[in-house]
Amino acid sequence: MIRFSAAVKRYPNGFEALKGISFSVEPGEMVAITGHSGAGKSTLLRLVAGMERVTQGSVLVNNQNVGQLADPALCVLRRNLGLVFQDHKLLFERNVFDNVALPLEIAGFPRVEAARRVRAALDKVGLLPREKAFPIALSGGEQQRLCIARAVVHRPAILLADEPTGNLDQEYAKVIMALFQSFNQVGVTVLIATHDESGMAGVTCRHLALHQGALAP
Amino acid sequence: MNAWFHSHLQACRRAFARMRVQPLATALSIAVIGVALALPLGFYVLLNNASTAAGRLNAEPNVGVFLTLAATEADAKAIEQKLRALPNAANVRFIDRTTALADLKRTAGMADLLAGMEGNPLPHAFSITPKSFAAEDLTVLKKEISAYPKVEAVSAEFEWARKLSRFARFAENLVLLLALVLCVAVVFVFGNTIRLQMLTQKEEIVVARLIGASKRFVSRPFLYYGALQGLLAGLLAVALVLGLTAWVGNEVNALAESYGAHFDLLTLSFVQAAAVAATGAILGWIGAFVSVALFLREH
Repeated sequence: MIRFSAAVKRYPNGFEALKGISFSVEPGEMVAITGHSGAGKSTLLRLVAGMERVTQGSVLVNNQNVGQLADPALCVLRRNLGLVFQDHKLLFERNVFDNVALPLEIAGFPRVEAARRVRAALDKVGLLPREKAFPIALSGGEQQRLCIARAVVHRPAILLADEPTGNLDQEYAKVIMALFQSFNQVGVTVLIATHDESGMAGVTCRHLALHQGALAP
Repeated sequence: MNAWFHSHLQACRRAFARMRVQPLATALSIAVIGVALALPLGFYVLLNNASTAAGRLNAEPNVGVFLTLAATEADAKAIEQKLRALPNAANVRFIDRTTALADLKRTAGMADLLAGMEGNPLPHAFSITPKSFAAEDLTVLKKEISAYPKVEAVSAEFEWARKLSRFARFAENLVLLLALVLCVAVVFVFGNTIRLQMLTQKEEIVVARLIGASKRFVSRPFLYYGALQGLLAGLLAVALVLGLTAWVGNEVNALAESYGAHFDLLTLSFVQAAAVAATGAILGWIGAFVSVALFLREH
């Protein structure tokens, strides 16, 4: 489903964020990419989502070379991904419901069907009672759950999460990880980048350790 | 097809919602663009009326040949034959004195004046369309005709008509130029308005793109917004010109009636009004398109 082949990411200033890494993630697998800040975890996820392109090597998602996709094909790819951003990227002018509805608007879902799916996603993350609230009124944990609801509302095959428990206490981190595990259990491929290995305690998944842009043995 | 229709409907809804969120800014923007569109439109209507008024004058570049009052129809026929044989005469039209009098009576204010006169004061006349309008050719023509017996006068002074026609053409071109300049300005105004809108929604655009929104999806509401604003601005321009024409029309008519005449001011037809509204919508769409394309290239 996801295949990195000798992928190198070098920035114009010469910094090499990824140094020829190779690995693959099978459908329905849950993988935690761990490593310190600056190890290249976020870059790796950004390469999968096509937000950046590899300098050398390739990144294949569903047998498509992400680095060579044109804009329309990249949009289609992203619509099949669920993205949980490190900084949430919530829209503060939209309420909880409308934030979650955005991927469905993009996919062109009819309003009634979209509303049904949004409520189901909000129910799953425990935010249904707050559907009319605005993100500014939510706690950090609720904002993270809102971000997850938006990432899964369109039932993506792959879920990418960048530091999903970064700003949360341990209790909340467990709740969030349990959520990811529940999505994985229904067949969603999950790729989580985190520096907080303790947050992954009790989570059954494959671990890949990144160190200075290379996979640790 | 359903998804396509749905996405357009959604974009349209979002465009309307955007207008509702900022009613004052939207109204001001529409007012500015509406006035800008009304300017060339107003000039066009003015020019149209001026052309119609000028058309009522005999501005045709013809040479007038007036016979003496004593000239009979037989004399006129003899002269007509000579006139038709002239090398510089393209067309010769005979105006008999009875028809000329009837025409004059129909002219505003002349009927009363003519009623007080005995008999027909008008002579038989000819109207000649020359082949060449060169001054020297006209002088030769005038001299030759003046020498015919029973010819009282020859009038070939229609330079004013040509000047009027030239001025009308100049005014038309000027209005066209003004319209073009204002259209470009309107596109810039639309572009700037849309750009500001996009900047306020930059975060939403960036997030939408990250989660799979195509450029078309992002642009569509802004294109509708631009077209909608343009349509409303076009309708405002039409309303302004119609209102102004109605007001000026009443004043002109009141003035004309004091001279015993009647003058209905020409205004915009339904097709012309619809064309102006459509032009507004198209300009709005173009402004939005350019702005959106530049914005998406930058971000």
